Amino acid sequence: MGSRNAKILIALVVLCVVGGGVYVAVAATGPSGTDTDQQPVATDVLDQADLLVRAVDPKQPTLNGGVFEVDDGKVHRGGDLSCERVYYAAGHGICMGVAASGVDYIATVFNERMEGGEHTIPLQGLPSRARVSEDGRYGAMTVFVTGDSYLESSTAFSTRTYVVDMATGKVVNQLEQFSVTKDGKPFDAVDFNFWGMTFDPTDSDRFYATLGTGDHHYLVEGSISGEEMKVLRDGVECPSLSPDGKQIAYKSRLGHSNRWHIRVLDVATLKDHAVAETRSVDDQAEWLNDKTLAYSDGTNVYTVPADGSGEEQLLVKDASSPVRLEEPLIGT
Amino acid sequence: MYQVEASKALLKPRLWFRRPESLRVSRNVVMLGMTSMLTDISSEMVATILPIYLVFSLGASPLALGAIDGTYRGAAAVVQVASGFMSDRFRRHKQVAEAGYGFSALGKVALVAAGNSIGGIGAIVAFDRIGKGIRTAPRDALISLSSTRDNLATSFGVHRALDSVGAFLGPLVAFGILLVAPARFDAVFFVSALFAFLGLAVLVLTVQGKPWRAPREETTPPSVKRAAGLLRESKFVLLLVAALILSLTSVSDAMIYVGLQRKIDFDPAVFPLLYVITAVAFMALAIPIGRLADRIGRVPVLIGGFAMLFVDYAALMSDHIGYAGLILCLVALGAYFACSEGVLTAVAGAALPDDLQASGIGILITVVSIGNLVSSVAFGALWVTLGLQQAVIVFAAGLALALLIAAPLLVRSQRSAPLHG
Repeated sequence: MGSRNAKILIALVVLCVVGGGVYVAVAATGPSGTDTDQQPVATDVLDQADLLVRAVDPKQPTLNGGVFEVDDGKVHRGGDLSCERVYYAAGHGICMGVAASGVDYIATVFNERMEGGEHTIPLQGLPSRARVSEDGRYGAMTVFVTGDSYLESSTAFSTRTYVVDMATGKVVNQLEQFSVTKDGKPFDAVDFNFWGMTFDPTDSDRFYATLGTGDHHYLVEGSISGEEMKVLRDGVECPSLSPDGKQIAYKSRLGHSNRWHIRVLDVATLKDHAVAETRSVDDQAEWLNDKTLAYSDGTNVYTVPADGSGEEQLLVKDASSPVRLEEPLIGT
Repeated sequence: MYQVEASKALLKPRLWFRRPESLRVSRNVVMLGMTSMLTDISSEMVATILPIYLVFSLGASPLALGAIDGTYRGAAAVVQVASGFMSDRFRRHKQVAEAGYGFSALGKVALVAAGNSIGGIGAIVAFDRIGKGIRTAPRDALISLSSTRDNLATSFGVHRALDSVGAFLGPLVAFGILLVAPARFDAVFFVSALFAFLGLAVLVLTVQGKPWRAPREETTPPSVKRAAGLLRESKFVLLLVAALILSLTSVSDAMIYVGLQRKIDFDPAVFPLLYVITAVAFMALAIPIGRLADRIGRVPVLIGGFAMLFVDYAALMSDHIGYAGLILCLVALGAYFACSEGVLTAVAGAALPDDLQASGIGILITVVSIGNLVSSVAFGALWVTLGLQQAVIVFAAGLALALLIAAPLLVRSQRSAPLHG
């Protein structure tokens, strides 16, 4: 290397260090944006319902949105919770979102006063589904994990589903560690992915979830203490048990597409039927009561009768992640 | 130049045996290593944040990225055979490598300018992959041509060590920036572009395009026919067959990580640490393993490196392993990478004529990547049908057989090698 080239290189290094430093310094003092100030808008469709929702900015639906209570057609902001996916039951809530850095994901456990921060759980990927058992004992979180770049591991994407002890705010297990049986025989494959847990309302140790492998999306039924699951049937994603535990609302994939219709399954007979919503929905539906479903299309929350009658109606505009509340939290 | 000083420090022997003068590597190799390190910092910065950026800022499905990446990996494999031959044909290894690094740098600049669309990101990932496909064969040929028979594997070890330092630092730099400037992805893209640009500048300004072993201008450049003739040259074919059967019976690291995860009940948050430990082992072992290969012979070290996989296979076959066992597995995996990555290329470099280095290395890389792909698909299928334990037994038996066959083939490929030094 000639000394001329060496000088040029040193000059370039200095230039890059200064240029990069200035750019980062300016960025550091400039505005950051992981949250949106958008407010959801309630409609008067179902004024007896009491809900928690997460606000959605229609322009940037993946920013953390504030958590709001929608009660009697009124919208209340409680606390400063802000996230992408929320769930709550019996004094224990989970709020999963992007961390302040913008590169990590984090879940915050919150209480009945909607105060979070005492327990946070770092997440390994993009928040997808959240559930809390009826008695507030267990929480379930599903995240999308995208390929880790070290040494070019080729895993394109996978899901992880964690079981959280809501009292301590700690992850106590993950479904990937459970054993699975199908037709009474052990069942295992490298491409196993689990998502969308829902808890039995009468026994929080029992749950349903989706097991994806190859082209199949199995409904599995399992036990947290037994660390086991068994396959019930194919073609069921993101199951959601009704409050009486008799029906499962789920999304049914249309062919091999990434489009889904909501259907409802009878737990005893495993027979199912469609609901009136004809658009594609990618959500784990929520039961407002034993007859009515609520779900989000990503920007608004809709409701539809579970028995296949009637038609869908707009429930909350600019919101997602609906959660049925048994009693008002802040709207009293 | 302070880089040279820094790199010399890296080369300071921590080894117990006396270091002969011939084990020093040429400055060209160190500079190519610096180029790779800077480029890898740049690429890994983006790779670390790209998934979340796509989803967070652009609202894309996580599936999109996997599809984008898979498509272009195939394209890169085809490009590298062609770029290897072109650099031999026109004796422009450095210029072809520059084009490859330039492609990637250009992609990063485009990311700063127009990173706000899925199509744009797709194009940039394509640029990066194609750039990698273009540069690998001529760069490895330059490393080989800048080395002697006595330090060939050490040269590749030095290069791979610097390269993996970059892969290790990239995510740290990205996270560092986002720590002071939360959610400012544009700042990460900007700094990434600067690193890519500096990497290219080091290559252009400091790497000697005609190292001492480079074929003389007055000799006839190799024709397509002569390059294709490599596939009829028994020594090189023996090497390709050995590399193919070894790659076919090696389980990919991604599969090993998934398997290990099933054997140990560790906190899921610790999972990324598996990659870190393996990467650190790779980084630390690349140079000592290269030196060892030059000292006691490249073939035994290469065979030993693949045999390291048995440690991981044994762990996957056992019912339960503790943390100590896990760390042993990861270090073995790092050692396997250090051997298979650098030493294999050194073995090829020693078996190839000087005027066909890039063509031969291009063919070798393509054969190995096809082997790895088939192995991944086959292992996944066996896991589903037979279960993890049986799948590993099949692969372990296959690897044992492959090593028995490959060892004599590799030895013969090195016999009276055309490399003069």
